[in-house]
Amino acid sequence: MIKIENVSKSYVKGKKSIDNLNLEIKDGEIFGFLGPNGAGKTTTIKMITGILNIDEGDIFIDGKSITKEPIDAKKEFGFVPDSPDMFLKLKGIEYLNFLADIYGIPNEKRKERIEELTKKFEIYDNLNSEMQSYSHGMRQKVVICGALLNNPRNWILDEPMTGLDPKSSHDLKEMMRKHIKDGNTVFFSTHVLEVAEKLCDRVGIINKGKLVFVGTYEEMKNKFKENKSLEDLFLEITENEE
Amino acid sequence: MKNKVMVLTKVIFKNSFQNMETAKSTNESKNKKSKSMIILYIFAFIYLAGIIGVFSNGLIKELIAINQEEMFLGLILLAIAIFVLIQTIFSAINLLYYSKDNEYILPLPIKPSEIVAAKTNVLLITEYSIVAILGLIPLTIYGILTSASILYYISMLIVLIAFPIIPVLISSLLVLIVMSFAKFTKNRNRFQLIATLFILVVVFALSFTMNDSTTTPEQMAQMVIKANGLVEMLRGAFPTLGMAIDGLTNVSLENQILNLFLLVVTTTVIYIIYIAVGQKLYLKGAVGNLYSGKKNKKKLDEAKAFKKSTLFKTYVGKEFKILIRNPIFLMQCVLPAILFPILIIVLTFAGMKGEQNGVEMDITSMVTNKTSIYLGVGILCAIQFFLMFIYISATAISRDGQNAVFMKYIPVPLMKQIDYKVFPNIVMTTFMNILTIVMVEYLLKLPIIYLLLITIAGIMMGVLQSYISIIVDLKKPKLEWSSEYAVVKQNMNLIWPVILGLLNITVMIILTVVVSGFINSYIFICIIAVVYLFLTMLVRNYIEKNTIKLFEKIY
Repeated sequence: MIKIENVSKSYVKGKKSIDNLNLEIKDGEIFGFLGPNGAGKTTTIKMITGILNIDEGDIFIDGKSITKEPIDAKKEFGFVPDSPDMFLKLKGIEYLNFLADIYGIPNEKRKERIEELTKKFEIYDNLNSEMQSYSHGMRQKVVICGALLNNPRNWILDEPMTGLDPKSSHDLKEMMRKHIKDGNTVFFSTHVLEVAEKLCDRVGIINKGKLVFVGTYEEMKNKFKENKSLEDLFLEITENEE
Repeated sequence: MKNKVMVLTKVIFKNSFQNMETAKSTNESKNKKSKSMIILYIFAFIYLAGIIGVFSNGLIKELIAINQEEMFLGLILLAIAIFVLIQTIFSAINLLYYSKDNEYILPLPIKPSEIVAAKTNVLLITEYSIVAILGLIPLTIYGILTSASILYYISMLIVLIAFPIIPVLISSLLVLIVMSFAKFTKNRNRFQLIATLFILVVVFALSFTMNDSTTTPEQMAQMVIKANGLVEMLRGAFPTLGMAIDGLTNVSLENQILNLFLLVVTTTVIYIIYIAVGQKLYLKGAVGNLYSGKKNKKKLDEAKAFKKSTLFKTYVGKEFKILIRNPIFLMQCVLPAILFPILIIVLTFAGMKGEQNGVEMDITSMVTNKTSIYLGVGILCAIQFFLMFIYISATAISRDGQNAVFMKYIPVPLMKQIDYKVFPNIVMTTFMNILTIVMVEYLLKLPIIYLLLITIAGIMMGVLQSYISIIVDLKKPKLEWSSEYAVVKQNMNLIWPVILGLLNITVMIILTVVVSGFINSYIFICIIAVVYLFLTMLVRNYIEKNTIKLFEKIY
């Protein structure tokens, strides 16, 4: 479970980039975080993962505060950043072993996990090459495998579908669905509204640092009393806020 | 062509220097901070200039006393030639071939010669900043002390602009030729490493020949007697050195102008040849480097592939792998630790120990007091000098670029990660330390206990430098770069190891002069080691207490 409580953040004095954000992503749900460019999606994700300091409020991952118990909180999630260009001079296997060592995964389990994940994403045969030689999609797959290696209860993914081929994108979505069936949480940001519409149990729309809608797609349609697609509703919500 | 070259030069140059200020900070605080940074940099440059100035002033006065002041011009220009030649090897190979921006530039409708010209311009501009300190200050002081006319200062500017071009072109040409073989190689990494080392060996060999004098004892005696005769010895050391010296010295006005003219014409001709070679060879190497051909799928050795390791081993291992596999980082951060001590010590002592000018000089027997306080501190100053060129710690955060945020979301305490990131710097500085000590011992045969104490003090100095340097990088990390070249070459942070190193040398020398009469040299070296240890603990403690604040700029 991820709980965001009264969180605010300013880059420039007097101008809040995130304004009093309150959000709870419950166990067993896939939550899509939507918003136009520069709305505050990445800032929020960076605060959840401890990359950015929080000015006001706090964030809890499975009850552990990211500000007060950062190391314990960080053990509770796997994070996929928006750019997959991670340590390109390392071989795929070296990168995954590096992460496995960081999360203290024992030999037997790591072999099983790495094989399972990389074979699913069809990159097992490339693991002995430097990641620099991988395509964008392959890099993305290795980074996803790395984030899921220690089987964290909470997945936090920033634009995870970017660069994935249709099969891998489909597999990742399946993995998300399977993951929440065991009572876990998936929180991801996306620009692809179609994915959010089909995959997410709930969505949150952020605009200019403020959360302008949280709920299911059905709730959104009821609220605006219009039987429109998520794309149309999204545009309407974000444009009204302009 | 000119237009495209200028635009490209501007883009490559700006791209390398962008993000000197953190883009995301507020305007007000940015202005305040950048103002104070500018003041700090000005202060740093004045300090550097001051040291060079004091040194030049002393040397010129000594040479004037024996009527050999023109020797100074020769020495400074030769130093510039050697320095630029070696520096450009590192920079040229990086900027021309290993730079990330090639991926964006090569597909554009620009001729290879234009790319080469633009990149060479960037190399030159970068070298001019060094020439400004290494050349402008000493030569201006020379002008003042010899009461030179205005013509000297005009000639000086022409020489300082034209003279460094040929060393840049020689190194870059060598790089163009060697790298054009890249397309024949299958293993890109190995080729890059071998090519780099090969070029380095050639340039070092060139520098050795430039330093090698073939003057006979009789000629030498005549030179010493004749006013400004000694400078003759240096004329042949570098193709345009004679022209540059004559362009600066006023035998006759016509002669001075003629030499300046010859210098400019020779430089222009070599530049035209260089650009023509660039047009023919550049793409062969650049494309060979970008597209390494078919990717080999090497099978995993399953028995070894999934082995657990300790956090320390895995983290430090990752740091070393990235340092060694990236040719730019390898050349600028790791190799100087090995090459500089060897090059400088061998160059200095080779001439003195061997048979030169018919006089046999044995450095071992020349140094009579083997436990002199000055000798010990002198060795430590040499070690400190070499330390200034080891940038592993000073670029530890910047090298990761945007990946640096990784440090913040993994469940490993930030202080622990700093210790791991600093460790490769400690390893390499210690290695350099031992290398220097071994060479010194071979040449000077010092008592082993004294040597051991100097080694310990040197290692402590390296540890201290490693922690201070990472603070510099954390405070002003350069995370958004398109070329690794920008991290190690066009990074103002790297001036701090130099400034602090020179400051340390100054303090050590002053202290030694003050205490040398009443303190035992063994005890003094011990005290230095303890002071470094204490300072390291202070600095580490500061980092530990301020980790969150220090990591604020990484997001």
